[in-house]
Order: sequence, then C-alpha cells, then structure tokens
Amino acid sequence: MNQNKLLALAGLALLVVLTVSSAIYSVDEREKVIITRLGQILRFDDPPGLHLKAPFLDDARYFDSRILTLDQEPQQFLTKEKKYVLVDSFIKWRIVDARQYFLSVGGSEAGAKQRIEQVVNSGLRDEFGKREVKKVIAEDRPKIMEILTGYADKEARRFGIEIIDVRLQRVDLPEQVSASVFDRMKAERQRIANELRAQGAEAAEKIRAEAERKRDVLVAEAYGKAERTRGEGDARATSIYAGAASAAPEFYSLYRSLGAYRESFKNKDDIMVIDPSADFFKYMKKPTR
Amino acid sequence: MAWNQPGGPGNKDPWGKRKSGGPIDIDQVLRNLQNRIRAIFGGDGDGDAGGRGIGIGLILGVAFAVWMVTGFYIVQQGERGVVLRFGQKTEITEAGLHWRLPFPVERVEKVNVEKVSTVEVGYRSNPRTGTKNKVPKEALMLTQDENIIDIEFAVQYKISDPAAFLFNVYNPPGDMEMTIRQATESAVREVVGKNTLDFALTEGRDAVSSGAKESLQKILDRYQAGIQVVAVETQKAQPPEEVKTAFDDAVRAREDEQRLKNEAEAYANDIIPRARGAAARLVQEAEGYKASTIARADGDARRFSQVANEYVKAPGVTRERLYIETMEQVMTNTTKIFVDQKGGNLIYLPLDKLVPNGAARGSATTEAETPPQRETGGAQRGGRADLRNRRPAP
Repeated sequence: MNQNKLLALAGLALLVVLTVSSAIYSVDEREKVIITRLGQILRFDDPPGLHLKAPFLDDARYFDSRILTLDQEPQQFLTKEKKYVLVDSFIKWRIVDARQYFLSVGGSEAGAKQRIEQVVNSGLRDEFGKREVKKVIAEDRPKIMEILTGYADKEARRFGIEIIDVRLQRVDLPEQVSASVFDRMKAERQRIANELRAQGAEAAEKIRAEAERKRDVLVAEAYGKAERTRGEGDARATSIYAGAASAAPEFYSLYRSLGAYRESFKNKDDIMVIDPSADFFKYMKKPTR
Repeated sequence: MAWNQPGGPGNKDPWGKRKSGGPIDIDQVLRNLQNRIRAIFGGDGDGDAGGRGIGIGLILGVAFAVWMVTGFYIVQQGERGVVLRFGQKTEITEAGLHWRLPFPVERVEKVNVEKVSTVEVGYRSNPRTGTKNKVPKEALMLTQDENIIDIEFAVQYKISDPAAFLFNVYNPPGDMEMTIRQATESAVREVVGKNTLDFALTEGRDAVSSGAKESLQKILDRYQAGIQVVAVETQKAQPPEEVKTAFDDAVRAREDEQRLKNEAEAYANDIIPRARGAAARLVQEAEGYKASTIARADGDARRFSQVANEYVKAPGVTRERLYIETMEQVMTNTTKIFVDQKGGNLIYLPLDKLVPNGAARGSATTEAETPPQRETGGAQRGGRADLRNRRPAP
C-alpha cells in the first residue's frame, strides 16, 4: 500500500516534469521561433528569453536569425564583347520574417535558396552582358553588386528573407583565356624590355656622338688656333729674315747657302762623290794659280 | 505549478492567453524558490514525517548550494563574458571573478576582444614547419588593364563588439573565418580591379592595402559582424609565376638602359678631357713654335747682320774664307769618294757596300736601285780599289 503510494507519487512527478519541460521554451539571441498549435501559427516574434506555451499542444520551430551565407559555385558569364568570365559570388542573407519564411518555404531552405540563386544568376547574366570585361573588373563592380543586392532582396522578401549583400568574390578569366593573358603580358614586358634597351642604346649613342663631336671640335679649334699662331710666328720670322737679308742680298745668298751646305753634310753617312777637278781642289793639283 | 506563479492574478492560465510572449520574470521565480526552500528547512512541517523530512531537506540543501557554486566563472584578461539567461543577453562582464545563475538558467560565452587574429588570403602558412603554401585560386586576380597579378594578403582583425560577433553572423563551425575571408577577397579584388598592374606592383601596394582595409571594414560593418579590421597587409605582390621571367627581364632591361647610358657617359668623360688636353697641347706647341721661330729668326738675322757689317769691309777675302771654312767642315764630316770623270768609263759604285749603315737601313731599296752589274773586266776591279777611301766607322 505504501509502495503503491510511492509509485503513484513517482508517476505524478514524472508527469509534472514532462509537462513543465513541454510548457517552457527558450529563445536564443541567435534564433527566431514560431509557435504553432496543431499546425496553425500562433506567434512568431518572441524575443530572446524564456517563454511558456501549452504543453504537448504547441510546437516550437526554430530558425537561425543570424546572417547566413549562400556560397555559389563559380559560373561562366558572357560579357558584352563576348568574352567569358568566371564569377564566384556569395550571398549574405537573413530571415527577417519567420512567419513568411515558414509559410512560403515550409521551413525548408532549399526552395528559397534555389529561387534566390536563380534571381542572382539571371541578374549577373544581364549585368555582365551589358558590360565589357574592363568595366566588370573595375568601375562597375560595386554597381553590379548593388544592383544585384536590390534585385535579390526584392525577390527574397517574398520568402521573409532579407538579402544583405550579393558580392562578387572573384571575377576571373577561364583557364584557357588566362594562358593567353599570360602570353600577352609576356609580349608586353618584352616590348617594354626592348624599348628600354633600345632607349638605352639610343641615349648612349647620343652621348657618345656628342662627346665625339665635342672632342673633334675642340681639337679642330685648337688646330686652327695653333696654325694661326704658327703662321704668325712664320710671318714674323719671314719679316725679320727679310729685313736682315735685304740689307745685303747677295751676301745673304752666299751666307745662307754655306750654312745650308754645312747643315746638309754633317753626317758621316753622307757620301760625296767628288770630281777632283772641282775648284775646291785646285790647290791639290798644284799650289799656284 | 511553476508556470502560473510569476504571472499576476489575471494571468493564471498561460495557455494561449499570453499574447505578448514576454520573458518570465526570473527574480520572481527565484523569490518563490527561496520561499519554498525556506519552507522545507523552516521545519513548519508536520510531526509524523519530521525525521525523514529533515534528511531530505539536508540533501536538497547541499545539492542546491553546490548548484549555486557552479555559477562562479572567471573572465580572463582581455576577454569579455556575454551572459545569456535562457538565451537572452543580460550583461557583458569584464575580466575577473563573476557569478551568474547556474546552468541551465544562465550561460556565459567568453570572447577574446584583445587578441589580434590573422586571416591569410592567397596562402596558408604552416606554423609548425614555417612554410607557406600558396593558394593560387585566391592569389591570382585581374587588374584594371586585364592583366593578372599574384597578391597575398594578411588581414589582422579583432573583435570589437562581443555580442554582435556572437549573434549577428553565422560561420560554419569548421571555418569561423569564412565571412571575413570572403569579404577580404571581395574587397581586395575590388580594389585591385581598379588599379593597373604596374601600379599595384610598385607604388600602389600601400594604396591597395589601405583601400582594401577600408572596403573590408565597410562590408563587415554592413553585416554588423562586431569585427574591427586592424590592418590589411600586402604580403606579396608580384607578377604570376608564368610571366615572371619576362618581368625580370624587363627589370634587367631597365638596368641595361642605365648601364648603357653610364657606359656612354664614362666614354664621354674619358674622351672630352683628353681632347681638351690634346687641344691645349696643340695650342701650346704652336705658341712654342711661334716664339721659338721668331727667336731663331731674330738670332739668325742679328748674326747675319753683324757678319754682313764686317763683310762689307773686306768682301773678297771674307767670301773666300767663308767658302773654304764651310767646305772644310763639310768635307771633314762626310765620306768622300773621288771619281775622275775624264776616263769616260762607266763606274760601278757599290754604295750599299760602302755604307754599312745605309745597307742595314734599307737593303731592299738599294738592291732595286742598284744598276745591273756590267762586267768591265779588271779596270773596274782596279778602279774600285783605288776609289775606296774610307775611314773606318767611328
């Protein structure tokens, strides 16, 4: 009897525990919750904290309220000039309206994701098709992201989702194209290298030529000056000789000639082939006249 | 019946009636709990179950005390503790010893707000081996001029808002840096895409870093990620491996250009001063020639004038004397060969033999110019012997 009472007490306690645990629920800062009673939405905007619901009857469904990421596989898009680019993008999204989200996708994310991806991809295709590669890479990049975020957000609102950001993570050229880009870069560098070397040669040649010109001019000018100076000297000497010689021209002729003979025959190697009948030897034949 | 305790008298039944869905007043719950406990310990219990009641009360009391003690926690220096009561943020605690309501009522999540973490983009360094592994997919990107650059970045960040960091952005458990990495890649590529290859490789490195930092911070703020970007550092910016040799060659070409110029300058610096020297020499020589010529002429003229003055006094004798003196000098100094032309015979004079110095000087010309020998018999032989009148060389 006492044991039966204890058993009944234990059974009651178990029931109480079960009921309590089914009646309270907590909502984390990172969560949103929907309370449904027999499939019907009762509440969907509980703030974080502890809450009560009808045990066994009500059902709590949790959703992540943080910013989530939809990382897309890289895809090829054609640009305006019919070039393929490989685009890797990601979408940052968040459930803002848990009720709408629950109603429209039934709590399964796959459908919503698919829809958002479709919108983003078609948006990307449109926007890339309107622009050249250069614009896509450079100045229009932020604009494309902004436009796509707008598109996707508008679409996603239907699912109770807010699109915070659609970002182009990578915009690259496909591998085959990359190879030709490398070739072009190589050629470009080669051009620069050749140009630099040629410019160097050009500058060097100019410097050399100028130096040589300067040298030639310097030397020639010096030569001119030197010859002028020599001429002056010669002229002075001539006038001095003339001044002296004109006083006694006949004697000068003799004097100068004798000097010249002396100068001409002062070497032992000089050979004179002499006819002994020359006047100089007249006394060698006979001592009288 | 704990659930109908906190509510006022008008809210006895929580099922379906409580539309606000507000959190339960925990303080109220606690007060009630305390009252209950006091009731157990307080011993206003009935007599028949007295002994056992005290025993159970004691056990429960000890268990309660132990439970309450588990609420103590320590927040380390540099950390912040974010306290969640049934999932709701209540406070953020600084470093030190703190107490919270024990599990499962309150939980603490600790976040280090002073640690500067690094995210590597384009490479992954391995701290154990100290090596770097390249991630080409992240490192290679397009520049504005449609070239490809190879850039490696390190992003340093710290958590500036612990609550925002915990609650706002989801990262998969295995990759807590996913968002920051994605955002960095996007930001860097956006900035690099606005610049040319040459700019990004050289003077633009800092501009790219600071531009990426600004852009990255803007993205993270947009997500309210609670992250502050401390720095974005360009670890490496270089042309891709495939074109490296071409780029190196271009760098060498720039050096070559300079070298060619320098060599030419060196040449110019070599020849111009030399030319100046040579020019100076020419001028100086000419000056010397001029001065010496004039001086010589002056001397010659004076000498002649003086001799001429004396000559006038005795012209005949002086003429004779001068002539003889001159001839004497000439004859003394030269090698003489007497040839009597009266015989009318052709004479062979082997000058090359007579003049050893001359022979040595130019035998070829002498041979060529020597007239062909004509055998004239003994006359020539004798003639040669007679004619020879030569002093031995000094």
